[in-house]
Amino acid sequence: MRTLVAHAAALLLLFPALLAALDPKGVRTFTLANGMKVIVEEDHDIPNVAMYLFYQVGSRNERPGITGISHFFEHMMFNGAKKYGPKQFDVEMEKAGGSNNAYTARDVTVYTDWFPRTALRLMFDMEADRIQYLSFDPKIIESERGVVASERLTRTDNNNFGLIYEQLNAAAYTAHPYGWPVVGWPSDIQAWSMEDLKAHFKMGYAPNNCLMVVVGDVSFDEVQKLAKEFMEPIPRQQPPPAVRTVEPPQLGERRVSVVKRSELPYQLVSWHVPKASHADIPALQVLSAVLSEGRSSRLYSRMVDREQLALSASAEVEQQLDPGQFLAYVRPRAGVDTAKTEKVLFEEIERVRTAEIRADELRKAKNQLLTQFYRQMKTISGRANQLGTAEIFLGSYEQMYGTPSRFEAVTAADVLRVAKQYLGPNQRTVATLIPEAAK
Amino acid sequence: MKIAALVLMSATLLSSQTAAGQTVSPHVKLPPYTRQVLPNGAVLNVMPRKDVPLITMSIVFKGGAEADPAELPGLANVTAEAIRRGTAKRTAEQFAQELDSLGGAFESGADLQSLRVDAEFLSKDLAAGLDLVMDAIRNPAFPEAEIKKVVAQHVDSAKGAKDNPSAAAGLYFRSFYYGPSHPYGRPADELSYARITRKDVADFHKRMFAGRNMIVAVAGDLDPATATKLLVDAFGAVRAGEAYPWKQAPAAQAKATRVAVVDKPDATETQFLIGQPGIERTHPDRVPLWVVNTIFGGRFTSILNDELRVNTGLTYGASSRMDQFHLPGRITIASFTRTETTGKAVDVALSLLRTLREKGISAEQLASSKQYLKGTYPADRLETPDQLVEILTEIELFDLNRGEVDDLFSRIDAVTLDKANEVIKKYYGSGNLTFLLLGNASAFDAELKKHAPVVTRVPISDPGFRVAP
Repeated sequence: MRTLVAHAAALLLLFPALLAALDPKGVRTFTLANGMKVIVEEDHDIPNVAMYLFYQVGSRNERPGITGISHFFEHMMFNGAKKYGPKQFDVEMEKAGGSNNAYTARDVTVYTDWFPRTALRLMFDMEADRIQYLSFDPKIIESERGVVASERLTRTDNNNFGLIYEQLNAAAYTAHPYGWPVVGWPSDIQAWSMEDLKAHFKMGYAPNNCLMVVVGDVSFDEVQKLAKEFMEPIPRQQPPPAVRTVEPPQLGERRVSVVKRSELPYQLVSWHVPKASHADIPALQVLSAVLSEGRSSRLYSRMVDREQLALSASAEVEQQLDPGQFLAYVRPRAGVDTAKTEKVLFEEIERVRTAEIRADELRKAKNQLLTQFYRQMKTISGRANQLGTAEIFLGSYEQMYGTPSRFEAVTAADVLRVAKQYLGPNQRTVATLIPEAAK
Repeated sequence: MKIAALVLMSATLLSSQTAAGQTVSPHVKLPPYTRQVLPNGAVLNVMPRKDVPLITMSIVFKGGAEADPAELPGLANVTAEAIRRGTAKRTAEQFAQELDSLGGAFESGADLQSLRVDAEFLSKDLAAGLDLVMDAIRNPAFPEAEIKKVVAQHVDSAKGAKDNPSAAAGLYFRSFYYGPSHPYGRPADELSYARITRKDVADFHKRMFAGRNMIVAVAGDLDPATATKLLVDAFGAVRAGEAYPWKQAPAAQAKATRVAVVDKPDATETQFLIGQPGIERTHPDRVPLWVVNTIFGGRFTSILNDELRVNTGLTYGASSRMDQFHLPGRITIASFTRTETTGKAVDVALSLLRTLREKGISAEQLASSKQYLKGTYPADRLETPDQLVEILTEIELFDLNRGEVDDLFSRIDAVTLDKANEVIKKYYGSGNLTFLLLGNASAFDAELKKHAPVVTRVPISDPGFRVAP
């Protein structure tokens, strides 16, 4: 504990504005009798509100045959309930000056509402209506199936990155649900039955499986009052069953390729890493910054700049409820053999596994991660997303404010240790998109 | 003393305090900022915003891609990238090293109307960050080896754009719609990038990076007095040079309906764009047209998205987009659908356009669009320092004034149903249409013959983005 406190004190000297700008005391929470937790941050800069609803259901809670069904609900939730019929959620919201979106991930389905403060009551009314009384009209389901099929065509089947990323995951995970795509396999998209849909909705959409985050031009008291009025009467349900499957350790390199008409190749490599809340994640984030954040990073300076092998080269750590991956993305230059880009990438990975990074690289990575963190805090929607993500993936929204000190505590020895432990050649999966010459 | 410092005071956003009221904020205003013209002609805007401890700056040079010589499309892009690749004081590596050590951001690029640098630093690093930015703007050395690298990377990026069907369709469409004699009709491609030399870049820099052609906006957690002094010294030292004269050209106007197909035989999805003449950025119809276009294709419940996505499930998204520059832009219907439903989706889009033209919109649609635009505007445009510097530079770039923000809501309110329907008659379906489709041509091009007697076909494997009718 001693080092952590010392680092936190050093941070205060360096960044006195940190406390003023990002004070967890500005955030308050409450939990309704039905188990729904609500996080509220008042921010009166602009007359708008970001309301995020995190349902803890995603492709992780699916099984073969119904893959993509969580994502399908992300669409169906806009297709009518009891008080607000088909289209009415969007019609009423836009008429009131609001807009919305939603995203589905492996672990969560998140509904993101942005609206002027005057629409707060309407939003509670409409969100409560669809959690409780979503309608299942067969005609609308068929039409929405077409929309999702189009989304898959555009984002995966006709998109080089989408295609190769899907193949990478299918190879990297042999047992765990993270191996299938969030959007679902094409045959499953065509096959969900009414029974599948009703069962999945009942499993995922309950107040006790939902976290609400409200940031913006609101008062804590009015949010609490509205939540009690609209959300509290909704009965709790059995939460989704635990995901029992644990991905077995990978014992050797896996390779997968896609041959496709294309101008440029694409290459993705992944290694298995622990879940988001694991103590090694900050060190892995520092490592990914050293490898690829900015043009002085190791991968960019060598592969993109000095050796002119790639148009881009980057690294990223997934943060998920179950163990995710450390990913490297390389877009080789035209005419460059992917065997060559791969060799250079692996040399750079071996370097971080055999020697500590330099002190100036460590300092630089921490500065970069700190400014990145601030960038995410600029908007009410950014903060709503970060607060909810911290609550679900790190166990508490307050962990969000500890982000800078978690980075600050990472040492060069930590980075070397995690690189050695997780980025071994036997633990990697290599996926390559190989351009097929036009006939 | 030639510096005319004008302090523009205002209240910040005025939010409606009526509890659970039915209206969004009655109006918005730009937060307080100062604007001054430096002796070298540069315009400097400074806006303090206490939030996170960051300072954002945008440096905009008028011109951008439209200033590319006709035979060298891409020169503005290459120049924007090359300024950070070695200066009088720093090599490209040193520049990157110093920038990254500060945790700073430095993005430079060109669009049709401007070449811009967007940078961001921790507040405490303003002086160090500014030193980097000024070094890139004032002293680029353009080392031959670095220029070669930049050019080669742009050549590959241009080829790689064809791996992204939606982006590629946009480039072909620009070339087809405006044509090669128009300053907007020459998207850079692998052939034009390959022609660019160090001398072209150095000459372009000398011509464009001039005080008289420069707009600076800085916002964030800054002390106005200290920061302004630093900024005046830094940007005031840029050579005055000559102001950029905007290009003139007759409005792009199709003489008859035109249809082109970019053939990508392996595609299982078709991207399609249908364009018609729009307006320039300063046109008096811009607010009514924005209100109307929002109803037709600018939001989720828009006429296009409602029919093509929600009712028929033909696509994941359909929209109508307006682009506005110094010269008139386009109003473009954009969507995509699986190969087999290409003809059907295009027909639906055209019938919606016809219905809009014939029937106009209702009072209810108009009221909803107005509320939507006013409700979403603050978070879309006025929340962060990045958004605010973008607005400030846009105001200068198009010779507008702060009424663009401060009077926006009253201008929206002033759009009557008659005015909206008059604008629809004037712009939607009134001129000849230009169609561009990208997909597996042989599967659907017979269905397009009914729209135009000649369907121009371009193989995607041909170099560049030219569409020669």
